[in-house]
Parts: sequence; structure tokens; C-alpha cells
Amino acid sequence: MPNEGRSPYLPIPMHVLHAYYESTDNSLKTLELSFDDPQDAREFFAAFNPGQFCLLSVIGKGESALGVASAAWEGDFVRFTAQKLGSVTTALHALKPGDPVGMRGPLGNGFPLAEWKGKNLVIIGGGCAFSTLYALTKHLHHPSHRGDYGKLTVIYGTRTSGLCMYKQDIAAWHQRDDMEVHQAIDVPEQNWLHHVGYVPDVVKEVRPSPVNSVAVVCGPPIMTKFTLPALVELGFAPETIFTSLEKRMKCGVGKCGRCNLGPKYICKDGPVFSLAELNALPADL
Amino acid sequence: MNLILKKDHLNHLLNAWRQEYEVYAPQSLQNFTHFLPLQDGFELAFDKAHNTRIPPKALFLPTSEALLKFTRFGGYEEVPSETAPRLIFGIRPCDAHAMTMLDTVFEQERYTDPLWKARREATVVVGLGCHEPCQTGFCTTVGSGPFNHAGLDAILTDLGEIFLVETLTEKGEHLFTQLETASEDQSMHASEVQQAAAASMPIAFETEGLKQKLDQNFASPYWEEVSRSCLGCGVCTFLCPTCFCFDIVDEAQRGERVRNWDTCMFRTYSLEASGHNPRPSRVERTRQRLSHKYSYWLDQINQIGCTGCGRCVRYCPVGLDIRAMLRKAHQLPSEVLHA
Repeated sequence: MPNEGRSPYLPIPMHVLHAYYESTDNSLKTLELSFDDPQDAREFFAAFNPGQFCLLSVIGKGESALGVASAAWEGDFVRFTAQKLGSVTTALHALKPGDPVGMRGPLGNGFPLAEWKGKNLVIIGGGCAFSTLYALTKHLHHPSHRGDYGKLTVIYGTRTSGLCMYKQDIAAWHQRDDMEVHQAIDVPEQNWLHHVGYVPDVVKEVRPSPVNSVAVVCGPPIMTKFTLPALVELGFAPETIFTSLEKRMKCGVGKCGRCNLGPKYICKDGPVFSLAELNALPADL
Repeated sequence: MNLILKKDHLNHLLNAWRQEYEVYAPQSLQNFTHFLPLQDGFELAFDKAHNTRIPPKALFLPTSEALLKFTRFGGYEEVPSETAPRLIFGIRPCDAHAMTMLDTVFEQERYTDPLWKARREATVVVGLGCHEPCQTGFCTTVGSGPFNHAGLDAILTDLGEIFLVETLTEKGEHLFTQLETASEDQSMHASEVQQAAAASMPIAFETEGLKQKLDQNFASPYWEEVSRSCLGCGVCTFLCPTCFCFDIVDEAQRGERVRNWDTCMFRTYSLEASGHNPRPSRVERTRQRLSHKYSYWLDQINQIGCTGCGRCVRYCPVGLDIRAMLRKAHQLPSEVLHA
């Protein structure tokens, strides 16, 4: 969202609408935030594209970069899922409905949805990085968007079934006839009816077709590292493989310097890059 | 237009400017020179060193400044951008040139930094060329020069008893309306001084093809070799006029969200919450510093991100010299090395 004279460091005032744990171990919590000022909501959704991220502020604690996990059509709220890791995410986990929270965004480029029109989409996620892919899938599910794209395949792996996010929705996805869903966990569990194994291996097993397709990969670095070559092996061209990157961020608008990958800033020029773009950049991740 | 400023008239002129502007000029403070606001009875410190220790970027991007003030109950408000008119006198061309590069970061189309922009707009910059270039500087090597005009509203050339003043912008013209015009001889003399100064500076290293060498040797043992004696103190970046990285932290007790200068030479700069660090050692951090200046800036604005001010050479506690590091980089093989 261009700042047009407004400070790019000034968060939009928001408040917590809903807060609930996403994983059985309580390490992941979802926050749904609502806008204090309806004008801010209009401006946000006019600029929003799935795959973008925001910087959430807990005043007095700091800011954390989190991918948006909701689609615009879901309503005038923005969803995030935060893993409790540092001081800001710990403070985010402590928030209750009604609590104030600041939000800067939407930031970054998001997925090139216009470029993908008419293509089959293979969405591959791992762990809590699935959040923006969830936003993407929700976006595609809207009747006015679904027809623009071909076959939709989702592959989602987590370490355990308890760490799987958005469980109810994903369970419902299995019932849909306009998409194919493959879930995986790393180690066997009782009553698990889906794949067991690491995401790159599941991708090799599912063998999505590269014909008229694009693949989007979001996951921990180790998963991405092995999934990208697996897709190349299946015949996906580097221009048709996309991934969303993460690095430590502060400003989110290409000024504070730290998230650079060669001459590109992940916050401003990314976070979504094609493998072809990444191949031309230094391996500074 | 070229004008003549008599040196014994300089203080009078500075005082006249003080009626309209807050005037910053190099003055001594604790063994170093700094750009400080002129007070009554000021003493300029031009003879001591060419460059102030802290570059004048600090007048536009302070080492520490509040971005937000916290109000009650989790609220916050923006810190207004200051707009009082300012004049910086005696800035060296390398530092002024560096500011034009930082403009491309802070005033880029999509996200303008209002604090930077307000200060830039409120400031007139009068440069002092280097008729006796400093030993550590290498401005002519990197596309700048001891009398470079970039980022200046006017530039002075020291001709002994007088300064020759070249006004470069309307803002600059407005400052020197009372001065007499320089004669042709005086202008000629200044131009000779300027050319002699540039000619006296040796080429410190070859820049042609340097970017490609650095890019192609991303995984080379070269980086381990050149970073071996680095202490990771970060002085090379803190005192660099083209470095702009900052951190943003909440100072809860002060009730402020603050941005502080930060540096890619620190471990915590790129350390992620998961514990992963893309630049875990000084090897990767040195690579980032040099590659940013001599490769990434070229991709971004087609200019080397260094103006050759020489501060990193002068202030490095272990005597690491970027000129030597880059000469060595030029000896690297051109073929792509794989990790």
C-alpha cells in the first residue's frame, strides 16, 4: 500500500476480534483482527493480494512480520497465525478479544494471480508457513475466482496431526469436488488416514503434472530446499515454481536493510519469487 | 554563477545565515570534528580533518530517533517531522554525493520516509571542495571526486585568501546574493585547483568488472581470507555515509518506538526468531557489506554505493582497508565457483 505522505511506520489501529489456538500444543495461535476505522478497512482491502504480509505491533513490545491468512471476501477482518517464539509473538499470544493491536500493511507483492489465470495450481505447504497458502486457497474458492483457474491441488504437511492448522476447513476441503487435497505428517499416528512422510517425498508420490501448471511452495527452509528440486524433476520449469521467502524484518518497506537477497528486498520486492528469479540471486538465505 | 567570498568575511556571512537558518558547520568536540549548530563565538574546524568523524547523514537519519510516541491504553501517535530551515556549511563532496544515494532509499516512489524527506527539503547544503585531498579517500576511483557537485546547492573552492563560490541551485543562489562576481582569472584558477586535486589522487583499485568478480565469487574462500582480522565492531558501517540500515525497537519505559542505526556487521542484525541466521559469521557479514556497496547498489541505481570518503579505512581498529580488499577481489578467478 503506497503511503502517500503518511508515515510507513505508523500502524493501522486494530483490535482483536477472535483469538484461538490453532495447534494442540498451543504453539500456534490465530488472531482475527478488525479495523478501528472503516476507512482503513477499505484502503486495506483495495490494496490486498493473497501472499502479502503485515507487521503486527504490540505497543511496548515491538513488531513481528506475519503472512495474512485470510481472503478479502471472508469479511472486514484480517487473520494471522503466529508461532510463539520471541517476545512479540509471546505478547501476541497473550492478546484477548477487544485488545488493541497495530498493523502495518499489506506489504510485499503477494502471489501473481493475474499471471496464473487459466493454469492448474499446485499448492505445497509445510508447517505454519501454510498460512498465506491458506489465504490463497480461500481466495480461489470464491465462486467469482474459482473459474479463472484450472485444477487445484493442495499438499500440506506438518510434523504431527496436532500441528495441522485450519483443521475444520481442511477437513471440508476433502469433500469438495473442485480440488484435490493431500495431507501429510512426518511420523505415523493412529487413525491417520493420509500420507506419512516429508513433503518433498509426498510431492514425488502425488506427482502433480507440470502441464499448464504452476507450483507454489511455502514451508520451512529445509522443506523448500528439497521440494524445489523435486518439482524441477517432475518437469516444472523454474518460471512456474514460486515460493515465498522470509528473513528478519524491521521496516517492511525496503529501508532498514536486513532482508536483502542481493539487490532485492524480500519485504518490498518479494516475499514471493519464482525459482527463475531466485536462481539469479545470491544464495544468502 | 561564480562568486568571491573573502575568508575574513566568512564568519559574518555565517552569522547572517543564522538569522534565517540553523547553521551546521564542522567544529571540534572531544578530539574529533562534528557538524554542530553554530553558537555565538563559534570556531570552525576545517584545518583539522577533511571529514567529520560522523558523516552528515546523521543530520537526516539521526543515530537514534523516535518514530512513534505511545499514549495510554495501547495507543500511539506519529512523531511529527521537523521542518525548521537548516543550512549545512562545509560538507565535503563525498558526503553530499552519498546523500543523493540515500535519497533513492528514503524517497522511493512507493514508500517515502517522511522524516528524511522533511529534513532534506528543509536543508540547504553548501559544500567545500577538497583542494588537498585526504590520504584515505579514494573518491575519484569510485565515480565521485574532490569537487563533485552531486547533492550540493553551492560549492566552495579554497584559493588561499578567498573562496570561489559556485552556486548550483536556486537555493544556493539565494544564499550568496551579496557577493561580488568572480573574475575570469579567478574562475580559471579555481578550475586549475580542482583539476590538480583530482589528478593528485591515485586510482585505488580497478572498478571495471569488479561487480562481476564479487558476484561470481560469492562462495569463494576469498571472503574468509579478507574477514579474518575483522573484529565485527561495525565502525566501517556506522561511519559510512552510504550505509543506512536501522533497527526498530520499542523502548517501553520511554514510551517510544525508536529507530537506531544498525549494521550488517552484527550477528543479531539478521538473526531470526527460529535461531537461523543467514549470515552467521563475519565471513558472510563482510561479504554482505562489500557486495552491497560494489554489486547490489549497481543493480539498484547503477552507481557504486561508496563515495570513497575513506572513513572505513581511517577508523578500522585493525587496519582493514577496503581498497586492499577490492584490489584482492580483482585477482579472483572469473569463472563461477560453486560452494
